[in-house]
Amino acid sequence: MSGKLTRQFLIYGAVCLCILLVPVVVDDAFLLNKYARYLVFGMLAIALSLSWGYAGILNLGQATTFGIGSYCMAMFLKLKTVPVHTGSEGLPDFMVWNNVTELPWIWVPFQSTTFSLLAGILLPALFAALLGWFIFGGRIAGVYAAIITLAVMVVANLIIIDQQSYTGGFNGITDLAEFSFLGIDFDAYSASTYYLVAASLTVTLFLALAVSRSKTGLILQAVRDQEERVRFFGYDVALYKTFVFALSAGIAGLAGMLYTIVMEFASPTFLGVPLSLSIVIWVAVGGRQSLIGAMLGAILVTGVQGALSESEAFLETWTLIMGGLFVLIVLLMPKGLAGAIEALVRRLPQAGNGRSARHTEPDHRPETHPNLGGTQ
Amino acid sequence: MTGNREQLLALRQATVSFQGFVAVDRLDFSVAAGELRCLIGPNGAGKSTTLDLICGKSRITSGEIIFRGEPIHTYREFRMARTGIGRKFQVPSVFRELTVMENLEIGCSREPGVWHNLFRFSGGADTERLERLALLVGLQDELSTQAAHLSHGQTQWLEIALILAQDPALILMDEPTAGMTAHETNMTAELFNRLRGQHTLIVVEHDMGFVRDIAETISVMHQGRLLAQGTADEISEDPGVREAYLGSGGIGHA
Ligand SMILES: Nc1ncnc2c1ncn2[C@@H]1O[C@H](COP(=O)(O)OP(=O)(O)OP(=O)(O)O)[C@@H](O)[C@H]1O
Ligand SMILES: [Mg+2]
Repeated sequence: MSGKLTRQFLIYGAVCLCILLVPVVVDDAFLLNKYARYLVFGMLAIALSLSWGYAGILNLGQATTFGIGSYCMAMFLKLKTVPVHTGSEGLPDFMVWNNVTELPWIWVPFQSTTFSLLAGILLPALFAALLGWFIFGGRIAGVYAAIITLAVMVVANLIIIDQQSYTGGFNGITDLAEFSFLGIDFDAYSASTYYLVAASLTVTLFLALAVSRSKTGLILQAVRDQEERVRFFGYDVALYKTFVFALSAGIAGLAGMLYTIVMEFASPTFLGVPLSLSIVIWVAVGGRQSLIGAMLGAILVTGVQGALSESEAFLETWTLIMGGLFVLIVLLMPKGLAGAIEALVRRLPQAGNGRSARHTEPDHRPETHPNLGGTQ
Repeated sequence: MTGNREQLLALRQATVSFQGFVAVDRLDFSVAAGELRCLIGPNGAGKSTTLDLICGKSRITSGEIIFRGEPIHTYREFRMARTGIGRKFQVPSVFRELTVMENLEIGCSREPGVWHNLFRFSGGADTERLERLALLVGLQDELSTQAAHLSHGQTQWLEIALILAQDPALILMDEPTAGMTAHETNMTAELFNRLRGQHTLIVVEHDMGFVRDIAETISVMHQGRLLAQGTADEISEDPGVREAYLGSGGIGHA
């Protein structure tokens, strides 16, 4: 049994090491910035894999909590900039343009570094906990839960656009100071920012792995399989689902904060339907029941997408190509690339000892189609 | 035999109606601690529904359910389970995507908290107990088999083992031998006789041979009501029971 665990740790460790070593080979600042962006998407995919792949909760609004995290960081960095027109004690530029005379109360705590960094993770988690408590406590499951997550995101997006004087509205929050922490400056176009993102990704991945292998992770898989049955053993299913939903949101929030550092702005498009659906696609392609599969799925898809959209030859057709690939993979490999690779490894002769299955990645499980509606 | 034992469970005037159809009708039914009670009755008599009421799957529309002196019928399902009630369903219901061992770990639910279980990993203190349970139901060689690949009889046994892992004071078994071979049924009877005394059991069963093997007291339900109660011989001589089973091929074939 520990054989599989060791193998899993080795694979996860090796992949993270490769990611961490990229700046040794690449010293083009623009490329590093682009790769850091892909890694942020990988983190989002891990977040969705936890809730969708493990607990069967399809979150079509994962970008909501990503956006909250991203705005937390943007507000923090905005307050660090010295406004050009009003001087160092002045209000952020867009507030001046909107005739705001004093710093709105929600902005005040973002003058603190500790508060801002914690808020970027805890606010999304709290938001998701409240939403989850409402959804799961009310026994709303499957498609209906997914639709609520989507609707909430649309509302959040509209509120941000509407409250221009507090949020920068449609333009988002731009012209941010450089993030610096513990004496290190994180220039968006630098190896230090890449390392920051890569290290956060590694920590997140192993944290998610630990959760997935804990008994709580096992109970979540049981919930995905047969929610009703789990209750009669005395587990508070709504609480378990709310927990994983909030954990997933916290990870997405962290990803959002990093995204603001990498992109140097926050925008209402971060809470958009296109991003949310993209996350679902990455995770489905990579394999939703494999954390590392989902993560690599995101990096791979966004990487290929980036390459195709930049090349002359595919300028017009790349969305079509991506769409086609997605349909093919989902039809041919219901467990995504991770599932397909596992199936392949199992066929190899030396995989005889791989028979001992532990929970996390299903070992010899029948192929089921990704269930867009969750469990029930 | 049950006379001076402490009462564990009592249904008082328990009634449930589904959109006007009364499935359980003012049922008075009680079980003493340590008892093994069989509940029989023709198809549609309301046996499964009665178990549903006791574990919270369905809710009584009137009456009350007292367990260990507490009225539990207002509790949510997981709270009812935590007071010490375990349920095996008529359609065997295990976690098909998980392995046998993982299933047993889920069954072991003494500590049901999210936070507590976040720091518990497989191979913990319970492993030995769970392996013994697997041995008890003959699944010791299937620990890493996915539950979806088990035979029907094995699935039934796995669910029984899950309930034993849960270790509740009161076990509700809904047709545990359905789909089992004669040999498997005998082994199940043996198992139940071993459980006697350690747990209180309510067993819904159609197989009268099996019922005779295990029963102390038999309760007969018909049209949502308690029709008769007594030993196997008393029951089979009861004219009311005979009449209820008329047309369904006699008591053994219901
Ligand atoms: N959720 C429900 N909604 C409507 N009717 C129901 C529901 N559950 C049970 N019934 C009805 O209640 C009656 C009793 O059903 P129940 O399943 O308790 O019978 P049973 O004694 O277990 O029968 P069997 O031996 O066939 O399992 C049946 O007529 C059934 O159709
Ligand atoms: Mg029944």
